[in-house]
Amino acid sequence: MAHFTCEVVYRGIFQKNLAARICRGIVLSARKAGRWGIAFGRYGDSPQRNGIPAKDFAIVADTQEELEQNMARYEPKEVDVTICVDDTLSKGVESWAWYGLQPINRLTVPNGTVLMTSLQSPADLLKDIHKKEAPYNLALIPAKASFSGLWVYKEDHTEARILGALAKIQPGFLSLDAVCAAIQEAEWGSELKAASARKAFERLESRPVKITEGNAETPFSFEKPKWWEMREGVSIPAIPIGKPMEGGKGYVPERNPYFKKFTTRTMRPVIDFDKCVKCTLCWLQCPDSCFDVTPDGLYDANMESCCGCGVCEAVCPAKDCVTMVREDAFEDNASQWEMWRRDKPAYMTWMGDKIASKQHVVRSHGFRFRGQYEEEIKQSLDQGGTEITAGIPGENAVGKQR
Amino acid sequence: MAEVFANATQILEPFRGVKKVTIEEYFTSGHRTCQGCESALVMKLMVKAAGPRTIVLGATGCMYVANTTYYTTPWVVPWMHTQLGSSGSAALGTAAGLKALMKKGKMKSEPINVIAFCGDGGGADMGLGAISATLTHKEYNSLILMYDNESYANTDIQLSGSTPYGANTTFSPPGKVRRLIHTRWKKNTAAMLAAGHTECRYVGTVCASYAVEMMNKVRKALSIGGPTFIHSLDPCPKGWDYDPMLSHELGELAVECGVFPLYEVEDGVVRHYGKTKAIVEGRPRKPVREYLLKQGRFAHFTEEDLEYFQAKVDEMWNEWEIPGVIPFKKAPAGK
Repeated sequence: MAHFTCEVVYRGIFQKNLAARICRGIVLSARKAGRWGIAFGRYGDSPQRNGIPAKDFAIVADTQEELEQNMARYEPKEVDVTICVDDTLSKGVESWAWYGLQPINRLTVPNGTVLMTSLQSPADLLKDIHKKEAPYNLALIPAKASFSGLWVYKEDHTEARILGALAKIQPGFLSLDAVCAAIQEAEWGSELKAASARKAFERLESRPVKITEGNAETPFSFEKPKWWEMREGVSIPAIPIGKPMEGGKGYVPERNPYFKKFTTRTMRPVIDFDKCVKCTLCWLQCPDSCFDVTPDGLYDANMESCCGCGVCEAVCPAKDCVTMVREDAFEDNASQWEMWRRDKPAYMTWMGDKIASKQHVVRSHGFRFRGQYEEEIKQSLDQGGTEITAGIPGENAVGKQR
Repeated sequence: MAEVFANATQILEPFRGVKKVTIEEYFTSGHRTCQGCESALVMKLMVKAAGPRTIVLGATGCMYVANTTYYTTPWVVPWMHTQLGSSGSAALGTAAGLKALMKKGKMKSEPINVIAFCGDGGGADMGLGAISATLTHKEYNSLILMYDNESYANTDIQLSGSTPYGANTTFSPPGKVRRLIHTRWKKNTAAMLAAGHTECRYVGTVCASYAVEMMNKVRKALSIGGPTFIHSLDPCPKGWDYDPMLSHELGELAVECGVFPLYEVEDGVVRHYGKTKAIVEGRPRKPVREYLLKQGRFAHFTEEDLEYFQAKVDEMWNEWEIPGVIPFKKAPAGK
């Protein structure tokens, strides 16, 4: 008797369909291989929110009884394979319902596998992935995160490739033939997709990660209130009003200390403070009130509350003042304004480096125009399914040609 | 001579320009909403306009669930949850309760803003009766703000009375046999409430893409006193399925295409304002396809559907008694 458990960590709404298809695909493949399986989403992540990390699970077992044993649990406490379909989640997961940040490999069993889609090297990813007390394997599928939305699905073969890779990681549960048969039988299946699965099976590379490797930072956490500490009735203390910054000219709002937006971001704004015209629009239009008003009248995006929606870039009237850059280009959540004030030339070099990379400023999520995904997929297939570069580079300029 | 309201209101002067907007936040960061959530922006701007002496009441919906979960909140001002259909009753009850306490000398007599918000599910559908009742109680000061993201966006995008024609929702998925499942035109909530409650002193429509105008409408409603109603159109990146960075632009497009006219009804006088006023005065409307095809929920639309949508919007502007607001037509002469 044996069973195999797998979690898919994904971005709510954007990758909802992708994650559901992967988990369904695992179960269908298991059935083809004569096993039992179930796919389910985490309860606490429904209702899902755009961009907020969420999880789906799949369990495969040799017998029905063993599957039922596993289903009796609320959700798996440890998994054989962690599938992460967006590498910006390698910094950790703070889902809608969780208290604090959890490392991406937290549930992975010793010698289990973290399977990711990423264009980064394992060394780069390990700068973000937290250290683990046990060794595990890091397997990579070279691909950009596949983002679509709720109604328009991006048929870019990501789910087929993940399933193919999984057949290599867990050959005892999912054979490649079973995976291909399941893909062909499913409503979304095709010969081409099965071929993608086979290709991923052949090309998958994994590397063992030692306990000394990884990000040494302690993940953000805090104490949950005990029931006897809670106030009478169901009442929650309000947030105090904010305070002036340095000499009373600026203003920093107090923020809900229990929900940071560290991992809700796929991109973050990089601000050229020299180009700022102090119009206040980014501050006014930010749904997350993430901008601090500084004493010199500039606006500093606070990375503890920024969820990376990009509205600031969209409303900014100054050319190239705010640029959204992919989250994986950053190591910390430090204040850009402080960095700029401390050493302006160094900041300009740092900023120029971030916004110059085409790979980092291409935005790949959301539905933008009809036919977008068809265009991207064509490009993806033409390039052998390795990288999708469609999307709109340099949004800042393009968005304003109206 | 109209009856003088017994309750004094806070007199909130309109903000004259973006830079005059108050710096303090009364709805701050740390809410569990989507990326680019326009409704969270509406909450922030609404309470920023109202100021610190405000009580906010929230009907069930995404702005309740995402804002006060797991013993945490981003609210700075007092806030209370009320049931899905009872934003109207909660507003009226709170206003009446405050008035009674002040009259009995149990609390300091001062003007306190009472704002109840509800989503389109809670406002245009199930809470409509309670809102309607509240708008007839002219002796109590309250504002009901309906944030309309055109679906039950909290629970996975179900169809509401505010969902536009043809949109894809979990209750109206387009199929191969029938392309459009939802073929009803959106409810005209603000105009319906304005037309039906002759003593309600203020009803307005707003869009947070025009933030200062929006805040000034909230200020006006709170200053004018009595029960008031504001209908806000909130682009929803989740339900409408678009890249969150387009939230602002889609709000602007909804107004510029004439899909969502901006107007206010103050003491029975209808006034179009902002971009809508320019449209009424002759500025051309943008074609609706520009608005529709940026959203995944309309990705299944064919040319025929786009034409139908455009024709319905054209009708709103060319044939209605008050363009974009009141859907009555004058009988042809001699009949």
